[in-house]
Amino acid sequence: MGLQKIITAMPALLQGAGLTILLTLVSIFFGLILGLLLALGRLSKNAFFDRLSQFYIWLFRGTPLLLQIFFIYYALPTFTPITFDALPTAFIALSLNSGAYLAEIIRAAIQSIDKGQMEAAKALGMRYTQAMRRIVIPQSYRRLIPPTGNEFIALLKDSSLVSVIAMTELMRTTSLLSNSSGNAVYYIPCALLYLAMTTIFTFVFSKLEKKYSISE
Amino acid sequence: MIKLENVYKSFGKLEVLKNINLEVTKGEVVCIIGPSGSGKSTLLRCLNHLERITEGRTIIDGELIDEKVKGKDSLKISPKKVALVCAELGMVFQRFNLFPHLTVLENIIEAPLTVKKIAREIVMEEATLLLKKVGLEDKKDEYPSRLSGGQQQRVAIARALAMNPKIMLFDEPTSALDPELVGEVLEVMKQLARDGMTMLVVTHEMGFAREVANRIIFMDQGQIIEDSSPEEIFSNPRQERTKSFLQKIL
Ligand SMILES: Nc1ncnc2c1ncn2[C@@H]1O[C@H](COP(=O)(O)OP(=O)(O)OP(=O)(O)O)[C@@H](O)[C@H]1O
Ligand SMILES: [Mg+2]
Repeated sequence: MGLQKIITAMPALLQGAGLTILLTLVSIFFGLILGLLLALGRLSKNAFFDRLSQFYIWLFRGTPLLLQIFFIYYALPTFTPITFDALPTAFIALSLNSGAYLAEIIRAAIQSIDKGQMEAAKALGMRYTQAMRRIVIPQSYRRLIPPTGNEFIALLKDSSLVSVIAMTELMRTTSLLSNSSGNAVYYIPCALLYLAMTTIFTFVFSKLEKKYSISE
Repeated sequence: MIKLENVYKSFGKLEVLKNINLEVTKGEVVCIIGPSGSGKSTLLRCLNHLERITEGRTIIDGELIDEKVKGKDSLKISPKKVALVCAELGMVFQRFNLFPHLTVLENIIEAPLTVKKIAREIVMEEATLLLKKVGLEDKKDEYPSRLSGGQQQRVAIARALAMNPKIMLFDEPTSALDPELVGEVLEVMKQLARDGMTMLVVTHEMGFAREVANRIIFMDQGQIIEDSSPEEIFSNPRQERTKSFLQKIL
């Protein structure tokens, strides 16, 4: 019955899933960079950077992602000359949002490293940034991987929210197919595809964790 | 090599060092003894800027590297210069503080490569010699967690020596070790002393102090109570407090 329909729709669904993965990978990548900067701000002795990071995290964790997407897409152009198309909006909103969550993850991981490591590095003549980059941050990787994996999975699912600005990722592809055909069967392969993606990435992260735990 | 003038250090209201005056000349080995909380670690840490003094002056190798007058910073040299001078002080910690994500060899070459920017071949050659010196050339590719405490501490000494320090600071280097591992670390330190290294050693190893030290300093409640030769301090301490401390630990 529906099987034939699903098979014909598969290329479209896979393409949607491809966009979902792309959105997640890119957003996690920029989210990690942003999160690292925010975490360093939170750990900095400079009160300004600390406050600035705190404010950012408060703002992006305290409002719904859906609102952030609408805000960038619809509200920003009304009072600034800045306009973004749907695709950049999706990348920006997801990156900014995951940056706030990753900041707290990274901060916790860095803070969990023994203070003696920074002291030993400093006693060897390293400056703060050198010690952070070469000694402290690399040690936080292993502790960073499991919560980052969780954030990745959450983001993969939350990326479905950008369907509201007409991004044809997996979720929107599915609902378009159902609406046009009047048949909701497409939600079954959609669910299976999400499950496949989350399962694969969970596996990848557990492999990564193993790889980084050799020295401990 | 080291000169402290009227140094004070407080943590908030807690005065940890009070009017410390101390001079250590080139090639001297000075041991610091004293009860827990007397400020021994803090004294060492003030020398390489892990802590900043709250009053007084610290001079390393003729360079004024910290100065506070009435609590105000009046230091004129750049942070970069301070870092350079501090790199002339090697430090060995009670809990080793090796970098667990790096192998033994990588621990040793890290700072010469990234701080001094010395060519890799030269650094590797030096590291091999240092590992031989501390008797661990066969462990160069191990991670620290795979080594015994005594081996880890010897790597930590080699790591500090790789920066070619003029002075070595030891903060209770054998206190975290099982008794049977203490000897191998002390042996490396004795060899260093014989090679003419200037050393400031916080320790409870009285045998080592008696054998190697040129001077022994007894600290109590943030002050230097006594500063004399090992013979004198062990046989005939001038201060009552020194006498009662030594009676307790000997
Ligand atoms: N960062 C810090 N903040 C607040 N107080 C500190 C700090 N570091 C040390 N102290 C306090 O300063 C005093 C001296 O400490 P220090 O570690 O120098 O003593 P110590 O002689 O090395 O003792 P031990 O033999 O136990 O190592 C102690 O009372 C300690 O609690
Ligand atoms: Mg101490």
